[in-house]
Amino acid sequence: MTLTSTEPAAARSFRERLLGRGRDVAGADRAVLVLHDVTKTYPNGKTALRDVELVIPEGDFVFLVGPSGAGKSTLIKLLIRDEIATSGSVVLDGQDVARLPRRQVPKVRRKIGIVFQDFKLLPTKTVWENVAFALEVTGSPRRGIRPAVDRVLALVGLTAQRSQIPSQLSGGEQQRTAIARALVHDPRLIIADEPTGNLDPLISWEIIQLLLRINELGVTVLMATHNAEVVTALRKRVVALEEGRIIRDEVGGSYHRVD
Amino acid sequence: MISFVVFSLRRAWQGFWRNALMSLAATATMVLMLVLLAGFWIIQTGLLSALDFTESKVEVVANLKVDATPSQIADLGARIKAMPQVAGATLITREEALARFQQSMANQGREDLTKYLDSNPFPASYEIRLTDPGLASTVADALQPTNQPAVRNVLDTKETAKNVKTVTDIMRTAGTVILLVIGVIVLFIIVNTIRLAVFARSEEIEIMRLVGASDAFIRWPFVFEGAMVGLFGALITLGALYALANPIGGFMVDFFRVLPLSFGSLTRDLVLLVFGAGLGLGVIGSWLSVRTYLIK
Repeated sequence: MTLTSTEPAAARSFRERLLGRGRDVAGADRAVLVLHDVTKTYPNGKTALRDVELVIPEGDFVFLVGPSGAGKSTLIKLLIRDEIATSGSVVLDGQDVARLPRRQVPKVRRKIGIVFQDFKLLPTKTVWENVAFALEVTGSPRRGIRPAVDRVLALVGLTAQRSQIPSQLSGGEQQRTAIARALVHDPRLIIADEPTGNLDPLISWEIIQLLLRINELGVTVLMATHNAEVVTALRKRVVALEEGRIIRDEVGGSYHRVD
Repeated sequence: MISFVVFSLRRAWQGFWRNALMSLAATATMVLMLVLLAGFWIIQTGLLSALDFTESKVEVVANLKVDATPSQIADLGARIKAMPQVAGATLITREEALARFQQSMANQGREDLTKYLDSNPFPASYEIRLTDPGLASTVADALQPTNQPAVRNVLDTKETAKNVKTVTDIMRTAGTVILLVIGVIVLFIIVNTIRLAVFARSEEIEIMRLVGASDAFIRWPFVFEGAMVGLFGALITLGALYALANPIGGFMVDFFRVLPLSFGSLTRDLVLLVFGAGLGLGVIGSWLSVRTYLIK
């Protein structure tokens, strides 16, 4: 895979059909995410990121690896503007998130679907309601909610479990629900923060396969992980962080540095 | 806009019942606080009307000369009523003064000694009600015999008036301060209770933020939920007060038997106070509590 989008037109049109919306194809090969010279120092003086340069083109699949405390979580927080970079710029889909007025922040977050290690599902809502929740609380027209939720549940293969609540589901099914919720906004970028951290190896592979399929449909995926086996086996682009710096950024890389 | 309001109301209703325990705890706190507030307010109202009654008892009495002619008396009455400090004046004729004395003797079970008198010794007098008891000395000075030839003397109520004025002023201020202090305490307790209820839902708020819900979509369901807690609290409080109204009312009437208190507008004011405070506290409480979770 190169640094520009190689998404086949057929896949794109399939995705548009699947997600029920067209999108301007003209901007297809521009970058979804550009980090330029980003440094983040927390108020306690700890510098979590230093001089980070990162470009993620649309349609890319990127593994973000590195030991705990390397800055992966901070990087993700900057993308969703949970934190603001001390210096440098974070440009998502052409917008500098640090310079956004407060009111625009929710709109940028809708361009990102985020999946966590601990799923973050609402325990009292069913699978269907959990996914629909993301549309309801963002003021989507009620008419559009049902078809959109049905579509993403079909995509992640949970149509049969739609009426179950999270405690009745396996870990893999819960994570697939979270992925469906992340997808339902038709995001530009899926951020998966250790999505397989709580799952056994077989289920982990299922989740990875699902993310790959979503990526094939044209959604850019950024996945932070400790799962060396998966990273090494897939030979996708790997960005390695250590002590707040990007120490490696290679396509077809493995989890560990190969000298 | 309408769909937003419908959404918020629906979510508030669901939120209230899905976290029934927290909501009931908040409502119970709200009820206790409103009962406290309403109780002190009732006491304050009783106190104020008792003070008004006491103050209305402060009056200036001008005794008239026995030989004052009817036209002098009428003239004096007109002058008194024209004074800006005077709320009203009643002429007590000599015969009425005698009858009053006889009545009061009879009430005390003492012998009526007036039958041994060959003439009525009581002078006619004007009993003058004041707009403000603090003005007693002004009116008394203006009515001294040197200024008004028909007046024999003016009963010296200056000291009494001053004392009553001091005491009632202190009690009014103290009552208002106590009510305000209770109001602030109630606000803090309610805010903290609602904060706990919101904290129990912090996971939900976090998810809303992550999927890109705007501040309004996060805030208003909670504000409506706070309003629901306030409304339910107010309804329960008023229900409890209504149930207790008869026994307590009877006790109050017994207690204040001597005072002609008017409780006419009390019920209406109380309903307004309880609903207003419940709604206001619920809304302010949730507004402040949910603020912590909004976009930095």
